[in-house]
Amino acid sequence: MTELRLVTSEHEDGPFSAGTPLPHRLPPGRHGIPANLVVEHQRRRLIAALAEALAEHGYANLTTTQVSEGASVSTSTFYKHFGNLWDCALAAYVATADRLCEEIEAACAARDPRSEPLEVGVDAALTFCAAEPALAQLLSTQAPFEATAIGAARRLLISRLAGMLRRGRGPDDVAIQPPGLDERMIDATLVFVGARISSGEAEAEGLVELGPELTAILDRSRQAA
Amino acid sequence: MRPEACAAAREALPVETTAPTPDSTVREGEMEGVLRVVGELGYRAASVRAVLEYSGGHRKQFYDHFASLEDCFQQAYATWIERLGVSLLEAAVSAPGWPAGVRAGLIRLFEFVTEQPAIARSLFVEVQVVGGEALAVREEALERLAGAVDSVRGELEPEQAPPDATAIFVVGGVEACLCDALAAGDQKRIWEALPELMHLVVGSYLGKQAAEEAFENAKELLERERAQLGGEGR
Repeated sequence: MTELRLVTSEHEDGPFSAGTPLPHRLPPGRHGIPANLVVEHQRRRLIAALAEALAEHGYANLTTTQVSEGASVSTSTFYKHFGNLWDCALAAYVATADRLCEEIEAACAARDPRSEPLEVGVDAALTFCAAEPALAQLLSTQAPFEATAIGAARRLLISRLAGMLRRGRGPDDVAIQPPGLDERMIDATLVFVGARISSGEAEAEGLVELGPELTAILDRSRQAA
Repeated sequence: MRPEACAAAREALPVETTAPTPDSTVREGEMEGVLRVVGELGYRAASVRAVLEYSGGHRKQFYDHFASLEDCFQQAYATWIERLGVSLLEAAVSAPGWPAGVRAGLIRLFEFVTEQPAIARSLFVEVQVVGGEALAVREEALERLAGAVDSVRGELEPEQAPPDATAIFVVGGVEACLCDALAAGDQKRIWEALPELMHLVVGSYLGKQAAEEAFENAKELLERERAQLGGEGR
């Protein structure tokens, strides 16, 4: 089950702070947890449940009932949080994209100065995807017709990751490259990783082992610029 | 592109050559119908009724041919992606040299997407929504195209050879670019990406100088086409 720490919120210092796996359900009855935290907990569960339901059923058969059941809330609670299935999918996409970017940034910030930022970033991204294949699939799969906002969120993620790729270049790399090439490389990377997750390589940790090869491909394309 | 490598890939993509019968014509219409309907409405909103409204024919006839809407989509997908693959490889083989072959293949692909946006949307975007067996067919199709792209590897010195997964990476990059334009409902903008994609594919194999040359050639080609069409089209 995906860890319920997808969304940053004003409750970061509370019992649901990032990094702490949450109970799947809050204790029944009078638990003394403030109502706003209960609501936040439900929202996070719904977002996590959407990714799991998507991995299991695909976009073609995804329903609000599956998501609600996965989050152990009623359908009416689902609609208190999200207007429809696609609002929930968009929230899940944005939260997952934020988390991926945070993982990469944190790994790059903590890296050994002798290491290559590209290598560290790729490794962090693949480690995240291998640990959370359902979330990685959410990021890499094309969204359906009705969910145009997810397409926009995907373009935003690609733009953010391409920005990281540019920043990761060494000071000696002053080559002027065609606009949009980094975005194409990131797009290709998402497809590349998504295909391997679909084929089940992520389970065998094969995904993380792809790091050196993926780094070499990205580096070669980059040097060609 | 090396003809022998592409010929091998083309053999793996046989084209139907038997004469059409009335029944096969109806079935063909249903398959085209499902791709158009799914491309226009999205798979989740598509129905057998909508397919029959497009293709004509009767519900019973449809179920004689296909077990379900999903089955119809999967068979239609397999047929059309195979034909498209053959068409791309033919375009690539007829061009002189590997970079020109890559460009010819991309141009043929972009022409298809521009001319048949609904079907292209089904083949590239909605197939990922449908999932199931169609995804396995998609992987095979991408691998065959990657095999053709990778044919240049034989011309490189071993120390110049790129990583093994380069071909599938760049083919995925092209597919992602198409999906992006189709999902946004703006298929004409893929032409703007032609120089970048040429840079990506050629640069991944042949390095900086060849990538820049391929980029400039593609840019010039688009400018010439635009000038001839008075700013319209590509």
